[in-house]
Amino acid sequence: MQKYNKTEFPHLYNPECETHIASVDELSAYIDKELPAWKRNLIQQHLKKCDTCAGYVQQLKKTDKFLRQGGEIEVSADFLAGVMTRVSEATQHQRQQESFWSRVARYIEIPLRWLQHISILAYKLRYNIQTRSPIYIFALTFCVFTMVGVTLYLPHSDRFGQSAHAWKKLDDVSGEKLISFEVIRPEPPKRLLTTTFQQK
Amino acid sequence: MFVSDEDLMMKCRKGDMSAFELLVRRYQNPLINYIHRSVNDYQRAEDLSQETFLRVFKNANRYEPTASFKSWLYTIATNLCRNEVRNRSRRNTYYLEDLVKEGEDVYHTDIMRDTRHMPDVLLEKKEQRQIIRKALTQLPENQRVALTLVTYQDLRYEDVSEILGCSVGAVKALIHRARQKMKKLLIKTGIGEENIHAKI
Repeated sequence: MQKYNKTEFPHLYNPECETHIASVDELSAYIDKELPAWKRNLIQQHLKKCDTCAGYVQQLKKTDKFLRQGGEIEVSADFLAGVMTRVSEATQHQRQQESFWSRVARYIEIPLRWLQHISILAYKLRYNIQTRSPIYIFALTFCVFTMVGVTLYLPHSDRFGQSAHAWKKLDDVSGEKLISFEVIRPEPPKRLLTTTFQQK
Repeated sequence: MFVSDEDLMMKCRKGDMSAFELLVRRYQNPLINYIHRSVNDYQRAEDLSQETFLRVFKNANRYEPTASFKSWLYTIATNLCRNEVRNRSRRNTYYLEDLVKEGEDVYHTDIMRDTRHMPDVLLEKKEQRQIIRKALTQLPENQRVALTLVTYQDLRYEDVSEILGCSVGAVKALIHRARQKMKKLLIKTGIGEENIHAKI
């Protein structure tokens, strides 16, 4: 246990005080009521007998009381609103991030499904075919390449698991765009010359 | 019916915004005061308090009900204050309240609103607060944090040891040293031991 030294606590450095108070830090803990009951009682009994220790504790108490008069600052009225605004902004950002990660998860999901189907098929056919035969190796390689190729070269919209229904929708949208941008106005036939002759 | 902080935090984990709002209401005053004592700038203290609450909300999923919410909150705030003080010393920047001479009117936020007191009492209190704040800033970081948490935030030594990441014995020593140093600093600034005693 840490003992108090002479320079820090000169007037209390005597054997009698030392038997009751293990270190000066305990006196601060005593005024903060942070000591166990038995130790507290021991110090209390000692303080009744020893005037120097009692005076020192009084000084500590007074310093603490003076420090507590440091004053409090009032919080501005819009503080709570500010916190809640920042929290709602953070929540929105979190949602955006979630949607990004869910998209990434869906992107990984497609090759995993392929792999699952292939592994199930290979497991079922494990006794029927020789695994080292060139046909098997060729078929497996073809499947893997097809899987990778299809996953990578799919149009952007279908990479994240959009269905055929979405494809159809996409076509409709592009069709609409074409109609709206390419407006063809047929020019009227040039009959000006003939009409002028007829009038004459 | 009183709902504990830990229960509110568990509700907050499930996305209950009203529970979070209640937590902010409970802790906005003590937290701003705590941060203000560390950074000594009201605007910055408000920003850092908002940041603390935002971090609480973001990391709500990581919160375990076994730990005290209060000590968790103050751990976040203490880390933010440490970063702030470090950045400030790196940039060699000073805040207005650091540069203002004694006796100048800066603490308008906590004094101007309170019109109940007479001007002389008000001035005396203001001076007292300034002296205490100035003395607090002169303490070493760990001593200041420990003393502030125990004296102004009424935290137990055990909670402070969790926040500072040290033993309870070390907290005892820190607080005792901080009190001793504060006493010396206050006497040095002219309050004097007798004055401290007289004021109390």
